[in-house]
Amino acid sequence: MNGAFAISQSDKRAMYLQIMEQVKQRIAVGDWTEGQTIPSIRQLAVDLEVSVITVKRAYLELEREGIIVTQQGKGSRVASTPGLGARLREQELVQHLDSALRIAAQLGIRPDELEERLREAGDRLAEKETI
Amino acid sequence: MNSTDMKDSAVKHLVLKDWRLNRMQIFLSMAAGVLALGVIQRGGETAFVVGGVWFFMSLILVGHMLPLVGILNERKKQNLAFLMSLPVSFLQYTTAKLLSTLGMFLIPWLTLVSAGLWLIESRGILPRGAIPMALILAFMPFVGFSLITGAVLVSESEGWGIAVNVACSSSYALVWYFLGKIPGLMSNAMAPSPVWNSAARNVLECEFGLVVAILGLTFYLQSKKKDFV
Amino acid sequence: MTDLAIELSGVGKEYRFFSLDKIHLQVPEGQIMGLIGPNGAGKSTTIRILMGLVHQDCGEVRVLGHSMPAGQVAAKWDIGFASEDMRLYDGLTLGWHMNFMRSIYPKWDAAYAQVLLKRFGLRQEQKIKGLSHGQRVKAMLLLVFARKPKLLVLDEPTTGLDPVARHEILRELTNVMADEGRSVLFSSHNTQDVEQISDQITFIDRGRIIDSMDKELYLDRWRRLRLEVPFGVQLPALPGIIGIRQDGRMAIVTANAFAPDLANAYERSGARVQRIENMTLEEIFVANVEHSREEVEV
Repeated sequence: MNGAFAISQSDKRAMYLQIMEQVKQRIAVGDWTEGQTIPSIRQLAVDLEVSVITVKRAYLELEREGIIVTQQGKGSRVASTPGLGARLREQELVQHLDSALRIAAQLGIRPDELEERLREAGDRLAEKETI
Repeated sequence: MNSTDMKDSAVKHLVLKDWRLNRMQIFLSMAAGVLALGVIQRGGETAFVVGGVWFFMSLILVGHMLPLVGILNERKKQNLAFLMSLPVSFLQYTTAKLLSTLGMFLIPWLTLVSAGLWLIESRGILPRGAIPMALILAFMPFVGFSLITGAVLVSESEGWGIAVNVACSSSYALVWYFLGKIPGLMSNAMAPSPVWNSAARNVLECEFGLVVAILGLTFYLQSKKKDFV
Repeated sequence: MTDLAIELSGVGKEYRFFSLDKIHLQVPEGQIMGLIGPNGAGKSTTIRILMGLVHQDCGEVRVLGHSMPAGQVAAKWDIGFASEDMRLYDGLTLGWHMNFMRSIYPKWDAAYAQVLLKRFGLRQEQKIKGLSHGQRVKAMLLLVFARKPKLLVLDEPTTGLDPVARHEILRELTNVMADEGRSVLFSSHNTQDVEQISDQITFIDRGRIIDSMDKELYLDRWRRLRLEVPFGVQLPALPGIIGIRQDGRMAIVTANAFAPDLANAYERSGARVQRIENMTLEEIFVANVEHSREEVEV
């Protein structure tokens, strides 16, 4: 069973994107380590109650990104790239920064102003944690 | 297991299923008929008339109710759609239906008619000369049964089923009346031994022919259908 | 080339107030096909034809390699068919029905039937007439699933069910698909069910098949674009656009053949693409039906 997976119906993103993200998260948090065998496409489809084709799509994209390796008849495993988990966490950070920049641009906030705002946010978080 | 074995077994199971669903009704109508014969056997005119009518009614009851309940209900309650999901063709369904309905009718009919004839033959409740008329009378609900079975299978409608049921029920007396007019039938009823003259034989052949023709026509019309359920 | 579990080519059927318009439909083996359409679109007629229960006026129907309706007996050994208008025998118990099926089908899996009984919360001693609608549907599906048929054909299996029962049935359906050799065709007007579990999608409306393809590819082609259109800018007519609604400076564009080029083309025309949104199958369904009806009327 892959109990920690769940597809959200209210998430506007395509289901295969949600699956990709959750696979990445499992690798990022270290649940799945480099070279480890992961559930087969059909098995994950059964566990998630989604169609095989959706999981297949997610696995294909993940393979294209070099995160997993699928071998015909042998199933799929996490790619044996050292430091893959850390790289995925890094990637996640970059994505969040990118989207912050995009939203800032829409609001007319310049990058240097954004930097200032980021520092302020850091202070707020630190304050909360001390309380 | 090859495919013909499997095909036959599906039809067999449909027949067994009908037996399971209708056996209570068959036993009850048989019990009613036997009781009626018991009443007749007590002797006396009243007992004879009451028992005779009762006996005839139980033959009609089983003959008319079997197709109405067993075939129409199955369609009305949408069990037919379920049956047609099983590995049977519509013609096989028709075959199973005709076999089971006919079989379930013949069990009480043959039992009761032979019991009645035996009572005439060995207990003398009527002169032996009444045997041809008794047989002719017994065949009437058989014709009614075939008509209703054919009507409900082919028309697939409750309205037609009920209409044919009413028509049959009300024409038994009429047919009996006209039979009485045929020379050489009633006149021999009190004879000491059965008289198998041409009148008696013709009527019996006619009845039997009708049963075969109606059931055959039903099978033919069913084989022409294209849409089911 | 993958084997086809179901293949309809040029299949037509004329009724007085409805006709099925020479449809083509293919369900590859090992996949779930979701058949979507409004009420009266022709879903049930299509299913009856492919089950051999209604004879088509024209066209070829092949199911599991058997030509229909002639080969229906042979085909039905391997098809589990359940539809909304089917009823079990009221006066008999679920257990009787299970025995009935077991006596007919040599492949009946008694152990799996027991598992399903538990999962669906049913009891063998229950008479059918005492069951609720949801329990009846589950009882019917139990009889179908426990036979382990190669092909499941389910007409509206989740209609009228509460969310828990619906979920139980969808879970069982995806379980079936763990076996690569088995295929499913199910019709529904619940697009969420179809979006979640099907590999292939077929849209049917007014007796015509509007679209039939791989679900992922299909969802990928549909997008909603939110555009800001400055004063004086005229939106160009582009291929793959099936609807534009404009109000003041905002425009919402629905595309059924989306590619990044499309957004670029709008940018070049002077409009600003604010957002590109995915569409749910339900949104696509409505947009598609409306669009195809407009096309027919034109």
